[in-house]
Amino acid sequence: MKPIYFAPLAAALAVLVPNHARATIQGVTGTSFNLTAREDTISTGDGDSMYMWGYALDNRRMQYPGPTLIVNQGDGVTVRLSNKLPVPVSLVFPGHNVTATGGVPGLLTSEVPAAPSTAVVTYTFTASEPGTYIYYSGTRSDLQVEMGLAGALIVRPRGAPKQAYGDPRTAFDREYLFFLTEADPAIHQLVAFGKLAQVDMTARHPVDWFINGRNFPDTVQANNVRYLPTQPYNCFPRMHPGEKVLLRMVSAGVDLHPFHTHGQNHLVIARDGRLLSSNLSVPNPIPDLAISDYTTSAVPGETVDAIWGPWTGAKLGWDIYGTANLRPHNCTPDATGFDPASHEWCADHYKPIPVLLPTPSELTHGNFYGGTAYLGIPGGLPADNPGARMQQNLVGGVSFMWHSHSERELTTNDIFIGGMATMAMVVPMNVPIP
Amino acid sequence: MKPILNIAALCSASLGALLAAAPALANGVHAQCPAGILTQSFDPVTGKNLTLDVRHPQASTDPGCRDIAAPTFFDTCKVLKDPVTGQPSGQTTNPSVVCRSIVCGDGHVNMADGSDTFIFGFTDVTNAPEDLILTRGMPLAPNAVPLGGANFSAPTMIMREGQDFYLTLTNAGFRERPDLSDSHTVHYHGFPNAASVFDGEPMASFGINMGSSVTYYYKNQYAGTYMYHCHVEAAEHMQMGMLGNLYVLPAQDGTPIPYRGKTYSKFAFSDCPRAGDPLCGSTGYDAMYFLQESAFDPMFHHADNTYNRISFANMNDTYGMLNGRGYPDTANPAELINVNNHPSQPIPAIAMTVDAGGNRAPLVIHQGNRVLLRLSSLSTVEFYTVTVLGIPMRIIGQGAQLLKGPTGANTSYPTASVTLGGGEGVDAILDTTSVAPGTYFIYTTNLNRLSNNTEDFGGMMTEIVVSP
Repeated sequence: MKPIYFAPLAAALAVLVPNHARATIQGVTGTSFNLTAREDTISTGDGDSMYMWGYALDNRRMQYPGPTLIVNQGDGVTVRLSNKLPVPVSLVFPGHNVTATGGVPGLLTSEVPAAPSTAVVTYTFTASEPGTYIYYSGTRSDLQVEMGLAGALIVRPRGAPKQAYGDPRTAFDREYLFFLTEADPAIHQLVAFGKLAQVDMTARHPVDWFINGRNFPDTVQANNVRYLPTQPYNCFPRMHPGEKVLLRMVSAGVDLHPFHTHGQNHLVIARDGRLLSSNLSVPNPIPDLAISDYTTSAVPGETVDAIWGPWTGAKLGWDIYGTANLRPHNCTPDATGFDPASHEWCADHYKPIPVLLPTPSELTHGNFYGGTAYLGIPGGLPADNPGARMQQNLVGGVSFMWHSHSERELTTNDIFIGGMATMAMVVPMNVPIP
Repeated sequence: MKPILNIAALCSASLGALLAAAPALANGVHAQCPAGILTQSFDPVTGKNLTLDVRHPQASTDPGCRDIAAPTFFDTCKVLKDPVTGQPSGQTTNPSVVCRSIVCGDGHVNMADGSDTFIFGFTDVTNAPEDLILTRGMPLAPNAVPLGGANFSAPTMIMREGQDFYLTLTNAGFRERPDLSDSHTVHYHGFPNAASVFDGEPMASFGINMGSSVTYYYKNQYAGTYMYHCHVEAAEHMQMGMLGNLYVLPAQDGTPIPYRGKTYSKFAFSDCPRAGDPLCGSTGYDAMYFLQESAFDPMFHHADNTYNRISFANMNDTYGMLNGRGYPDTANPAELINVNNHPSQPIPAIAMTVDAGGNRAPLVIHQGNRVLLRLSSLSTVEFYTVTVLGIPMRIIGQGAQLLKGPTGANTSYPTASVTLGGGEGVDAILDTTSVAPGTYFIYTTNLNRLSNNTEDFGGMMTEIVVSP
């Protein structure tokens, strides 16, 4: 059985070792994509495995969620779909005007017949509007999306790759995908045994909750880890102080999940790939109707773009960057009161934490705790403490849980903690982020 | 009526000297507060003056304050009560400092259908002598039944923009689940620019173990409706009831600002950063409701009380509640007394006033008043939609922020209902200008949760009475 413990070394290295990969969303770029619907299995956080249907890129294994397709605004996009499943499948791209050719007509779109048909359906559309989108199978969607036939589509604004939309207010330093799903293993088991006729979607009772196809703590493992071959995408947001983080949320299940970001509010700037703007008819709309919130729900099938931060630790009443004896450092404020290099808010410079913390033996430390109250001042956790055996934070990062606030969803098949959760980490400026 | 105040602490200078001489870490049960808690200067019943305990500078020496068998244990401590909640205000001799102390453990509450439910929860011990905090969390009740003293909802936290907030949490352990050695935390949900050390999420920081205290520190920068809860094993601890209201009043309060022909001095937000701002005074109100949605699954609570396996995925919440009560208990201003004769459900789900003698009465809301509704949800399973039947509503805040776009646009909106998932919160203004006097209802339109388990009807509903 797969242990449910963390792999501390791997995650520590993930924080410590610079990586040539850009701090961007993993996916496949281009304008022409070949997808194949296939069967395979995924690993769930309780140590179990689950039979899945999913989209595969080219001749690879299927993945959950499907490949994240990353295109540019204005691109003519072509997606060719083949099928190795014993049922017909298809693709729909909500928010786009799609032309489908080949295959056989289905209810929503053209479908690829069940294997061994070698038919290919070609879906073409123009990615006219930037934003975050969902794609999924338009064939018996209630079952097929549950089985894993869904993915994300990202359209980058023309000429502005570090913005979510055309307006510079939507600029970000880092972006992460939050593809939110839930699953009922009993359905997957029936399908695996070929008992499709016995599947009753009205009796669906999900017990597993996912971000990017993984349950916590798999969400914080690296992208493309070899022991999760069909779940390539992690969700481990890391950022430096002062950075804006774009959350691209996709609600791909049938339940609502109130998604809470610890540490700082996020500004919801768009829903379904459309900016929250009072005037969308101008060339580059501004998000003047954006809403700041600590918890945001995407309804099923909807996408939400939100910008978290920047987190600076400002106005805490003490210096989270360290006191003079712990970490000598300077703070030279600009007109806004912040040091432009460190993003420290200088009015609290060198102020000590105003309370005494309990002795270590009185505390149960978490494995994402940096060991001290301060950013960039790591400390070892007491050896007899649960978190010490698998300490994930060796750089003095300030960690925050980002998770579904329907708290029962912090479980994987009734094992706490798991489910729809991940940890975000603000790391010191001198620590590179992969 | 405002009680006369006296200065509680010896003085901040001597406390400062004490802290300077102390070791670098706190030990055991210890409520840290840099200023003295304000207390009433005399007992309104006996007329006796109160003095302070030199061993516990923040605690009264009144004998009743040390009689843990007394059901009014904390009333006799004479800590200054908040007139809105009747709970300790935590105000100190330093107007910019608020200190509260809570203890966590287990206990029992009365559901609105008359049944008894086992909970995990918090209880207020602000100003309690430190050597009595643990026994307060696990009291020996008058009838010697070993039941804990947890409250539901948890003690309400009220601060003001700019105030320093010292919140001490002491873990008393579970009296009825001695097999569990859970740690606990407080997560101040929505606190901006949080430090993980005070965020209460135990993986990113730590939980406090049984028999010890941790003091969280927050400098409140922004008014708004937040919430708090324990974040340890959150799926269990939150379903079990470790949930409470928390809101921050704006620094603007007390400044008269006219809005649409009337002048207000209480506001949801500091909505007037400069004179002439179009939103100046727009969040003004005459009366306030703070309502927190939650719901219990009685089978989960029963399993937890009887050492049985608990299932998260099978949670089925059948008791819809506001502020820890189902209708009609929601509209009863009294504290509710549990099977152990302990006041375990301290706050109703209506606006009330509490005088210095502890007497409670519904706050009279007159036709024409604007009512601020601070609505939050800490449901662990479902989304709930709430409507206010017959009174126009406008959502003016969300996520502890004034609904004002990045370029200044007014993004508030009128609506008849608002839907919240767990961890979501809004501020709404109910305008009774065109509302005939009478009784109106605030209730969930998830109509199957207008129930106290199998009993119809009740659940997530309360009243708002508009007087002439």
